[in-house]
Amino acid sequence: METKTAFEIVENTETFERMLARVREAQKVYATYTQEQVDEIFRAAAMAANFQRIPLARMAVEETGMGVVEDKVIKNHYAAEYIYNTYKNTKTCGVIEEDPAFGVKKIAEPIGVIAAVIPTTNPTSTAIFKTLLALKSRNGIIISPHPRAKKCTIEAAKVVLEAAVKAGAPEGLFGWIDVPSLELTNKVMAEADIILATGGPGMVTAAYSSGTPALGVGAGNTPAIIDDTADVVLAVNSIIHSKTFDNGMICASEQSVIVLEGVYDQVKAEFQKRGCYFLNPAETEKVRKTIIINGALNAKIVGQKAHTIAALAGVEVPESTKIIIGEVESVEISEEFAHEKLSPVLAMYKAADFDDAVAKAEQLVADGGYGHTASLYIHTAEKEKMARHQAAMKTCRILVNTPSSQGGIGDLYNFKLIPSLTLGCGSWGGNSVSENVGVKHLINIKTVAERRENMLWFRVPEKVYFKKGCMPLALDELKVEYGKKKAFIVTDTFLYQNGYTKPITDKLDEMNIQYSCFWNVQPDPTLANALEGVQQIRAFEPDVIIALGGGSAMDAAKIMWVLYEHPDADFASMSMDFMDIRKRIYKFPKMGEKAMFVAIPTSAGTGSEVTPFAIITDEKTGTKWPIADYELLPNMAIVDVDNMMNAPKGLTSASGIDVMTHAIEAYVSIMATPFTDGLALQAIKAVFDYLPSAYANGANDPIAREKMAEASCMAGMAFANAFLGVNHSMAHKLGAYHHLPHGVANAVILTEVIRYNAADVPTKMGTFSQYQYPHAKERYVEAAKFAGIQGKNDDEIFENFIAALEDLKEKIGIKKTIKDYGVDEKYFLDTLDEMVENAFNDQCTGANPRYPLMSEIKEIYLKCYYGK
Amino acid sequence: MKLEKVIAVRTSKTIYRDGDHVVKVFDQGYSKSDILNEALNIARVEETGLPIPGVEAVTMVDGKWAIVTDFVEGKTLARLMSEDHENYAQYMERLVDIQLEMHATPAPAMLNKLQDKMKRKISQTGLDATTRYELDARLHGMPKHNKLCHGDFNPSNVVIKPDGSYAILDWAHATQGNASADAARTYLLFWLGGDIEGAEMYLDLFCKKSDTAKQYVQKWLPIVAASQSVKGKEEEKEFLMHWVNVVEYE
Repeated sequence: METKTAFEIVENTETFERMLARVREAQKVYATYTQEQVDEIFRAAAMAANFQRIPLARMAVEETGMGVVEDKVIKNHYAAEYIYNTYKNTKTCGVIEEDPAFGVKKIAEPIGVIAAVIPTTNPTSTAIFKTLLALKSRNGIIISPHPRAKKCTIEAAKVVLEAAVKAGAPEGLFGWIDVPSLELTNKVMAEADIILATGGPGMVTAAYSSGTPALGVGAGNTPAIIDDTADVVLAVNSIIHSKTFDNGMICASEQSVIVLEGVYDQVKAEFQKRGCYFLNPAETEKVRKTIIINGALNAKIVGQKAHTIAALAGVEVPESTKIIIGEVESVEISEEFAHEKLSPVLAMYKAADFDDAVAKAEQLVADGGYGHTASLYIHTAEKEKMARHQAAMKTCRILVNTPSSQGGIGDLYNFKLIPSLTLGCGSWGGNSVSENVGVKHLINIKTVAERRENMLWFRVPEKVYFKKGCMPLALDELKVEYGKKKAFIVTDTFLYQNGYTKPITDKLDEMNIQYSCFWNVQPDPTLANALEGVQQIRAFEPDVIIALGGGSAMDAAKIMWVLYEHPDADFASMSMDFMDIRKRIYKFPKMGEKAMFVAIPTSAGTGSEVTPFAIITDEKTGTKWPIADYELLPNMAIVDVDNMMNAPKGLTSASGIDVMTHAIEAYVSIMATPFTDGLALQAIKAVFDYLPSAYANGANDPIAREKMAEASCMAGMAFANAFLGVNHSMAHKLGAYHHLPHGVANAVILTEVIRYNAADVPTKMGTFSQYQYPHAKERYVEAAKFAGIQGKNDDEIFENFIAALEDLKEKIGIKKTIKDYGVDEKYFLDTLDEMVENAFNDQCTGANPRYPLMSEIKEIYLKCYYGK
Repeated sequence: MKLEKVIAVRTSKTIYRDGDHVVKVFDQGYSKSDILNEALNIARVEETGLPIPGVEAVTMVDGKWAIVTDFVEGKTLARLMSEDHENYAQYMERLVDIQLEMHATPAPAMLNKLQDKMKRKISQTGLDATTRYELDARLHGMPKHNKLCHGDFNPSNVVIKPDGSYAILDWAHATQGNASADAARTYLLFWLGGDIEGAEMYLDLFCKKSDTAKQYVQKWLPIVAASQSVKGKEEEKEFLMHWVNVVEYE
């Protein structure tokens, strides 16, 4: 081996600073290298390290006086070949991942300079391992060797560096401390960008307290359990193979063997047969006092042969002894044999049963191996025992039927365990990683995320029938298309008593469909009210539910449908507010497995026949549960104006203006789409054109009635998909606190909310990828133009739009202010703050184009109360 | 000042009694800063209210530095332990109680840091680079507390007064730091004094009463042993090195 690299000797702060500057400079250049360049350098360096594996191993043993040359050769070989093989195709430069559809890209960047603390136990292999990782990840590296192993550690780094430079890497990319001291080690750790610390707990603590991000590993105290189902010959020989490897200096190496009583003698005999020596009690005591001094490991035994250690203790064993074994009982830390021994000295315990063995292993891990490695020899059919063992071990590697020294470092006895000479011990070991450390821990990954718009869909009932007289034709389908046998009608007393159900029941009779009817739906239906109907439904077991009525009847019917399909429905969870209906936490149960749902509206207002919404009140607490999910969409909607002809004036007015509010809010919603826009615009225009006559002339203007029926349904489809806004949020609370009819509550604040939303400089705008900038005003103007409202510029059109809405309200008898509806001033002001907070928190607020502050909601309420 | 009655003679210092005062006269080898530091330690610890003989003066006697402190009437625990050996265990208990009381006393903020002192000592040991590196790393990894540590706490430095109350003498080595280091040092002093049974009894009692894990105190032993080796008694060297030459697990 002839390395020529000769940098200035680093022995104090000054020379250290110069070396650091050199490494940083070189790393800056190296950071610009391409993947191809890096891969070639990585390959050449691995190859060079591999060539030098024997001289480096010999040097390590000579310098440290520990370990076995032949085993160190394997470690060097492994560090070069296995690490190269694992990472040869790993992308570490520039774009490493890209998904154009989602607009997301991952870019790898080097971290900078790595501080590499290298231990005495594996000096050359660890140096090869860490420098190769640095090369692959385009980092510079500064090596802090242990004084006892500085020559061989630095030599290994030089071999790798020289090959890398020959393959094109910048010359000064690696640095090292020639005269190690803790002060300089601390300096490397403080100045570097990341620390790869391998060493004892003191070093790892120092790394973590340096202020630099650290990947540290700690001590192991691997317990190996031999279950009575294990293959004893395989178990014992695996342990011998592992424990003798490099004279027991691998941190994952077995420190204790816990043998089930049933196979104890067999295990002992096999150990003896294979050249291990069992200490008698007197010898055990001698070895105890030799291996551990005041609770600490005697430096003289580390990495020595069994025979040497025995001699130190004054115990005579054959020269060829592989392992000396003490049969001990205590797993407490006060037992010397329970410690990590870094030498071919093993503790052996007898366990009464598997639980006892696991308990012992747990304690041994707690004694000094938290987070490292545990081992189990067992018949792999013993799944339950293996699960118990896995659950109990606070170790990041649990090896089964595997020699732990070779097994823990990966890729030798299991080919999915990443090969590494730095084994993370997780939070149990005070580490930031719990897996085998690799290149991914040494790169920064930038995620480039381009703006994308939310996926949207458009959902309406499968069938929507409309046009005057469509109902009987639509109902035909129940028989012809769906083959239904039992229908259940849900309606209110007024409609029932006035014969509105008759055309339906006649048709059902004609088709020989059995039916039953619940006709006691109350306004703002309660859960108790719905449960009343559900009892009937459960007894009758229909295969179709027909809801006939306004919003209350349709909502109540939807709730009954839910309770019929899913008796344990939990409304508190179902009504949980969501930010995005597609990302909500609650998974709504599947509907339609027992019955399909047909909705037949009798007023032009709620649009509930085509929406996925229902509101139910818990009469016990007064809570209103707004339930929303596309599962609640009716399967069929029948919009037949014949059911609406004789609606009274008050209902026509309130529900008609509700349609207008639905359409306007859906049109300016941050979730509005061209699919919902068309429907909303048609509805807005229709309400302007036909609501006054429908109000004034009722059944005498069937065209106006029909246009309003269609407008209601279209507005329903629009807001079922684009949602509503703060107008509805505020109206919901006006209804709840002051009992204004829903449509009236919407109407009385409508123009104030529009003015509020139209601000070009809102305090805050709504958050939705598609909503690019505040443009509610443009949208109102578009809607106005579509409805035929004119003006010389947008401002005038906007003002005319507001005037037209005020005019419409006046024509249909809507009063000007909240006060005009007899709401007591004191009570209004007393409940105002609470109402404001609840309105702010309403499910509808999220889709509003302007994200409201509570103070702003309060101001709107006050303006609408007083009319100024 | 009459320096007639010699109370004790230690390596390179002589201690006299002068009425209500004790005069500790240092040999010429001591630096001025050593003397002033010791006096300052006493003054600082005095301010904590812990029962110790207060410093009265720092002066020169025949060209030698001397520290004058109050005289404390009574017998040291060391003397009681040997005179009244039957009650050895009781005295040991008293020793630990007093040490724990001392550790519970808030350390003066300006008192030297134990970590710094140990670091300095390790660098003065003359041990090989590898061993110093191990010791430095071990020390660096120890928790840095700020308990009042005596540094030479042993039965000969604790006086029991006739009324049963106590006083702690000799604050030359006082620092603030990890109480377990102070305990490790006491344990080592018992060993060096040849009282190994006493050492084990002390450690068991200290750990039990302070609810400290034994290995936590033991972790300090290589460090205190190294620091002790600086004082350089040849006959202790081999023993101390045996305690020093351990490694951290890797």
